[in-house]
Amino acid sequence: MNLDVLAGCFASASCAVTQVSTGLIVGMLLFLVASGLSLIFGVLGVVNFAHGAFYMLGAYFAFLCFERTGSFVAALVAGAVGAGIVGVLFERFFMSKVYGRDLLMQLLVCYAAILIFDDLVKILFGAEYKLMGMPESFATAPVEIAGGFIPSYYIFMLGMSLGIGLLLWLGINRTRLGKVIRALAINPQMVGALGINTRLLYAGVFGLGCALAGTAGALAAPVRSLTPGMGLSVLIESFIVTVIGGMGSIPGALAAALLIGLTRAFGAIGFPLFVDGLMFALMGLVLILRPTGLFGARAA
Amino acid sequence: MTRHTQAGPAATLGRRTLLGAAAAGAAMLARPHVAGAQAKVIRVGMPTILSGRVAILGTSSRTAVQYAFSRINEAGGLGGRSLELVERDSKGRPDEAAKVTRDLINNDGCELIIDGEASSGGFAVHEVIRDLPVLCIHTNSETSSLTADPKLHVKTAFRCARQGIHDAVAGGVYASAISKQRGLKRWMTCSPDYAYGRDNTAEFLEFIKKFDPSIEVVDQVWPRLFAPDYTENITKALQVRPQAMYSALWGGDLVSFIEQSNLYRIFGNITLFSSSLGDPPVLTAIKQLPPGLHTAYRYNRNYPDKPSNTAFADGFASLAKHEPTNWAWQNYVAAQFIAEALKRTNGRTEGAALAAELKGMALDSPLAVGDKLTLRDTDHTLIGYPTAWGRTVPKAPFVEGFVPVEWSQVLEMEAEWKQRKGYA
Amino acid sequence: MRNGLMRTGLMRAGLMRDLLVAMLGLLVLLALPLVFPHPSLRDFLIYVIAYGLLAMSLNLLVGLTGLVSFGHAAYFASGAYVFGLLMQSGAVSVPLAMLAAVGGTALLALVIGAICVRLKEIYFSFITLAFQMFIHSIILTWVDLTGGDQGLRGGIPRPPFLGIDLGEAHTLYAFAAVIFVLCLLAMRQVWQSPFGYTLRMIRDNPARANFLGVDVVRMKLGIFVLAGGVASMAGIIMALFVSGAFPEFGFWTTSGEAIFMIMLGGTQVFLGPVLGAFLLQLLNHYVTIYTHHHGLVLGVVILLIVLGLRRGVADFAANWLAERRAAAPPAPAAPEPAKTKAAG
Repeated sequence: MNLDVLAGCFASASCAVTQVSTGLIVGMLLFLVASGLSLIFGVLGVVNFAHGAFYMLGAYFAFLCFERTGSFVAALVAGAVGAGIVGVLFERFFMSKVYGRDLLMQLLVCYAAILIFDDLVKILFGAEYKLMGMPESFATAPVEIAGGFIPSYYIFMLGMSLGIGLLLWLGINRTRLGKVIRALAINPQMVGALGINTRLLYAGVFGLGCALAGTAGALAAPVRSLTPGMGLSVLIESFIVTVIGGMGSIPGALAAALLIGLTRAFGAIGFPLFVDGLMFALMGLVLILRPTGLFGARAA
Repeated sequence: MTRHTQAGPAATLGRRTLLGAAAAGAAMLARPHVAGAQAKVIRVGMPTILSGRVAILGTSSRTAVQYAFSRINEAGGLGGRSLELVERDSKGRPDEAAKVTRDLINNDGCELIIDGEASSGGFAVHEVIRDLPVLCIHTNSETSSLTADPKLHVKTAFRCARQGIHDAVAGGVYASAISKQRGLKRWMTCSPDYAYGRDNTAEFLEFIKKFDPSIEVVDQVWPRLFAPDYTENITKALQVRPQAMYSALWGGDLVSFIEQSNLYRIFGNITLFSSSLGDPPVLTAIKQLPPGLHTAYRYNRNYPDKPSNTAFADGFASLAKHEPTNWAWQNYVAAQFIAEALKRTNGRTEGAALAAELKGMALDSPLAVGDKLTLRDTDHTLIGYPTAWGRTVPKAPFVEGFVPVEWSQVLEMEAEWKQRKGYA
Repeated sequence: MRNGLMRTGLMRAGLMRDLLVAMLGLLVLLALPLVFPHPSLRDFLIYVIAYGLLAMSLNLLVGLTGLVSFGHAAYFASGAYVFGLLMQSGAVSVPLAMLAAVGGTALLALVIGAICVRLKEIYFSFITLAFQMFIHSIILTWVDLTGGDQGLRGGIPRPPFLGIDLGEAHTLYAFAAVIFVLCLLAMRQVWQSPFGYTLRMIRDNPARANFLGVDVVRMKLGIFVLAGGVASMAGIIMALFVSGAFPEFGFWTTSGEAIFMIMLGGTQVFLGPVLGAFLLQLLNHYVTIYTHHHGLVLGVVILLIVLGLRRGVADFAANWLAERRAAAPPAPAAPEPAKTKAAG
């Protein structure tokens, strides 16, 4: 513990700016992945343990597209859409077969998907480390704000994830489709009885969740190395975020992701050794005291 | 899913099915390996990691041995016998590594083992070899205690890989020379939080302080192994403002760390010393390699500067489609040692006979910095390999200006270290 | 209570039969390596024994009580590490170290279980996973004690006791087989006991169990501790076999494999998980020999079983048999009607 240093950091504008931005950078990407996980659970009632694999797929799709076209925008779209399409197919052909069945069955289908996707990526791209490369326009010196430094790519990344999060929230809470999706989460029979194609909606929501993970993967591809199996650590972190925030709650995912991001950023200054243990402890504590999470509905 | 609350008849059935299946499986498994061509082929088993995040460790190890064996076989083999590699994926699980190794020996007729496991898997294989004393060469474990600790000694096990303590001494010698010359007093470390990362960092610091007592370690950060993001560690460095940083990060983690550090331009003010940046797949993956980073040698086609080394790099790359890794040369050299030992025993593969030949064997090799590489007789470990350090340049070959560290100095310091540890 | 008495009577008859079957099973296990004297068969069977025991103990929670634990490997690891550390200390004999490892793990399961069993359904799964991750990270970071990622190095000494030398491969195998059959026999008694039937009631209708005055939390905690203890025995066998203990024992993949084993074999037939362990190891064995795309093959097999058979192999077979018997008109001594319940 080094609380003096921590206090000193809060007192200095440059340190505070850098560390807050660090927390946002770590947190917002985590939020993108976790919001997809949370969305799928909230509407479909299944835990997509293969979510990390879609993050990986997004990164590899973006990598492939950037290599072919050289366009960063195209790469981002490829990552999101590619992961989304694979997500829809996965839902239609596999996941939808185990709805309403044992939790174990869902777990196994996801486990199989992780094994298959990891192996396919290894076969198609090789086991070497890959990096997508930074688009030219971001290859500039970090931006200085009140003595603190923020790289321009991270500013873009924050803007993107914030924008996507906002769109997601608006889409679910302010549009007709969003209303239907919320209704679907509560009473699928009734939605079906109204003549709405619930199967299509399920597939769409699952695909959207996977597309969110894919977007995160694509955004990470320029700065995080790509390897088969890279989804695992992201899965574990976003899983923790989702549980703390409340399974099914998008605002909860945001709050928990930022909480974790800021804990890591300031933890690195003040209590470097506890950060990881703290995350597990926090998750355990939330589960014991309020199993549905900070923002989850009370009745699970 | 249907659940039966009653278990009686079903249980009998289960038992019957089980026993029947067990017998059938047993019959299948117990069929011994039919070694029709046993006289012609010497099978060498290799447990290694071929899946998951570090799959490249296994794939490049496998390719290196295959390349070496194909060259030996094309040149007529060993007295009419050819070498064949049988590799198995342990999926990075030590218990699986142990089982696979036993299987390779007991069931697949492998007469020798090249252990391509990392860290914990290497120790698991080591214990199997204690039980089943065939010849085994560990090729990917850099943990010093595997061969340095006499309590762990196994008569037929050798290590043909670089070793943590050698790298620590070499790193200390090299880095202290630069720190003295450039006045780098304030140091920070950033290494992965697991036994290897911590040991490696502690040993490096021990030796650099020995050679330059004026340096001061102002901070140490320990990111998780396989962490995707290092931003909090990088911005910590911005706050601490050290003059130099040591990092034992490796592989994909190191790629991410360098690229994320680039965004903050931290290597303009902080001199980086890396234990693993010199591995070609890491160097080629990084899109913007900052110039002037210091790294230990892992592999380079231009060092040692010998035609045979370039030939090895070309031969390996034509098979693997990428430059050799550190693991690749270690396995290639292990295959060379095995071939030479078999030559000297006239193709006899008994563990004891081969071990007697390998003890203290000196071999011409593309990787020898001096004349030869040696498997030291006292502790069965490789010496004479490149322990040089170099500086990065943005374009291939990515690392230049290798400064060799004299092996005599490394060995002297290693002997002192062994005394301190109670190993000698 | 009348019901209970009847069950005790049934149990006695059942016990005799169980003992007989256990003896027979043990004889087969001991005879197999004599009939096929090949060391790799022995290795294979020890592996099936260790993982089979882990899967069996997990099924006490999953199949019997309906508690889907994602963190069962924590107790497997705890058994292996406590046993390995005690043996390396050189102060205790093998049986004493085993006792201590099982006891210590049971205590650990008691503490963790006391917190976990209060949670329902998926939240129970999550918190068991969280505890497992916590224990795994302790093993990784407490390097001085556990050796961190490199595991317990230097082998686990196996000094002879009572004339039994576990350093000898045949003896080790026989020892593991005996432990295995004893554990199965004990679990069988739980499976068939009034306690076992109470657990089934908790699984199928917790509200009813509660209404009948069953202390649900205590019952769940009891089976949680028992399952942890048996899992630690599996860990001890594995530690003896590989002569070491490794953090991977406590990683989520080990729990995942155990879950896959019980799914593959079946959750409702008592020995289903052992069948699953056997099938998975057989699959593993041959797949790693013939291809490096192990994940691809295993993944496809899992999908085929989950989406094709829709249940474990033994469950599938038992179901099929029951349906055939039901179809045959006058069933002599009709078995207790198979109650079915849609899970979910």
